Amino acid sequence: MATGNIHEVNPKIILVGNPNVGKSVLFNALTGAYTTVSNYPGTSVEVSSGHCELGGRRYQVLDTPGMYALLPITEEERVARALLLEERARVVVHVVDGRNLERMLPMTLQLIEAGLPVVLVVNILDEAERLGMDIDIALLGEKLGIPVVGAATAHKRGLKEIRGILADYVEADRPVFAYASDLERDIMRVAATLGGDYILDRRALALLLLQKDEEVLEIVRKAEGSRAGVVEEAVKEVIFDRRVDLHLSISLERRRVCQGVLAGVIRQQAGMRTPFAERLSTWTMNPWTGFPLLLLVLYFGIYQFVGNFGAGILVDFLERGLFEGQLNPWAIQLGHQYLPWSWLEELLVGEYGIFTLAVRYAVAIILPIVGTFFLAFSVIEDTGYFPRLAMLVDRLFKYIGLNGRAVIPMVLGFGCDTMATMVTRTLETVRERIIATVLLSLAIPCSAQLGVILGLLSGVPGALAVWSLCITLIFLVIGFLAARVVPGERPMFYMEIPPLRLPQLRNVLVKTLTRMQWYFLEIFPLFVFASVLLWAGKMSGALEWLVSVMRPAMLGLGLPPETATVFVLGFFRRDFGAAGLYDMQTGGLLNGLQLTVAAVTLTLFVPCVAQFLMMKKERGWPMALAIFGFVTGVAFGFGWFLNRVLLVSGVLS
Amino acid sequence: MKCGFCAREIPDLPPKGQERCGACPGGCRKVHCPHCGYANPLIPGWFRRNPRREGDPNQE
Repeated sequence: MATGNIHEVNPKIILVGNPNVGKSVLFNALTGAYTTVSNYPGTSVEVSSGHCELGGRRYQVLDTPGMYALLPITEEERVARALLLEERARVVVHVVDGRNLERMLPMTLQLIEAGLPVVLVVNILDEAERLGMDIDIALLGEKLGIPVVGAATAHKRGLKEIRGILADYVEADRPVFAYASDLERDIMRVAATLGGDYILDRRALALLLLQKDEEVLEIVRKAEGSRAGVVEEAVKEVIFDRRVDLHLSISLERRRVCQGVLAGVIRQQAGMRTPFAERLSTWTMNPWTGFPLLLLVLYFGIYQFVGNFGAGILVDFLERGLFEGQLNPWAIQLGHQYLPWSWLEELLVGEYGIFTLAVRYAVAIILPIVGTFFLAFSVIEDTGYFPRLAMLVDRLFKYIGLNGRAVIPMVLGFGCDTMATMVTRTLETVRERIIATVLLSLAIPCSAQLGVILGLLSGVPGALAVWSLCITLIFLVIGFLAARVVPGERPMFYMEIPPLRLPQLRNVLVKTLTRMQWYFLEIFPLFVFASVLLWAGKMSGALEWLVSVMRPAMLGLGLPPETATVFVLGFFRRDFGAAGLYDMQTGGLLNGLQLTVAAVTLTLFVPCVAQFLMMKKERGWPMALAIFGFVTGVAFGFGWFLNRVLLVSGVLS
Repeated sequence: MKCGFCAREIPDLPPKGQERCGACPGGCRKVHCPHCGYANPLIPGWFRRNPRREGDPNQE
């Protein structure tokens, strides 16, 4: 291979399509060994170029980076789209995966409506047939109004037909796929203002402008000159009029058209059942089967594996066996023997010592719990379950002012609330972002805290059920009320569902280890810092003062005054506080009822310092302080209420 | 690599200039998916391998 220029004079064939659909295999089959690779000007994205002879004519063939839609998001997609916009292709070959035709056809539709000379290659047909799919290629071609070839390029199937179609390609009238009349009216309103000379069709340009495509806007500005203002005004008006549902309407309309095109095209062969993965996929999104499946995932993935195995067996072994049994007594004795100053001894191996508290918490309590949590999380993630969970809870989330998209920050919140608070910016409206931030601060425990609390409460009969009920209740009630109090728009949710797959061992291990490394590097310095601060508080008497200040609140919750230290720790990191609770419980300072009240209050308690700072960054000081005050009030108020209810009812007493 | 949420191909490294939250001591170790916003762990160099060798035979 060599580097070369992609801007040649030979007629061009441009290959486009999603990643991993076999574009490069087709490119190699068409061009042979003599290809060049060059960076697209101004980017690090590589574009392969080669030549082929078809019907006695020489063509330049360009293999573009993977793209999912004509509206680019990544740099690779930008380059692929730029090639389509600049190169005036004789033929654009859209390669799709026959197994996922429904997901990929919307881009074919976009290419056709852009007025490009499209040939569709339905690739990986052998795999599709093996799954029992019978794709009527001729009917698909008829419905789309473009040449369509079925192929399995990795096995050289269909290559002859592709070459034949490319050699004989004659541009014909392209079909128009109409969207809903109101959307069509808005598209035409913008398209009618376009008067310049463009490679793409005006209707496609209008759609891209309505989706706020900055690059297309620049092209339009150049082409329209002084008339650009008229176009921009029309675009602004439509975007404002349809601000709630424009993107969704376009996606849903494309999906509707694609379903119409595919009707009768794909048939499942008689005698061959729908693959199990597809049936399971449907079950996970159906409320009747989806919620029981979710409970199974939570029970085995979180409760049994993280709670019982991670927080139970592993922590027992490391904390009680290794640290309390061996390392701590040895370190304390060593410190007592060799450290001449009591303050230094206290700092290193005292009650809040760096070794006896920070290292023990980080290594013996938190690490095994987050390790098992991240392992379970990575397995679930690698199966493709999370987008299905988003679809499942979409309806439920609507009652609390959110939609399925909010599953992303909520799921991430179980890993780290700080990161999840930042991800709330991906939600469409300010209203959703505020509600999601409140719920993350209040009722989504991070992985380490969740693991420690599950491990703690599973030892007290009924405690875990009370805790789960309280957290779910608070999540739903506060969400329900917030949805009615916080003003703003209510967007709808739509997302493409990727195929369900078996988790790959390598993926799972790499992601788990990467997350554990990240987590450990993040928490360890914080634990040491908190330990030093507590030591300084103890030595100066400030900690005693703080405990005395918080004493009435602790007594109100029915907890021993020393629990105040746990809440101070919890403000550094919730998991640090949860580990403190673990210490108190193993030291016999809390009974079952007190443990449950403390666990519920700590879970609902104000977020850690890092999350608070993130709230301030994302929502601003006034909103962050308001959420802080609200969450503290709810946490202690509900803790007090729960203590009363449990005392009066005799539950857990 | 593939996004853990939407399963779309995303760059192994965060794009230059991508905004960090700044919450993690020692720097950001996540790649936010440009399509859905999901925070994927940034795979350290020694765990990465040539993507051409993986996947099914039909893949590029």
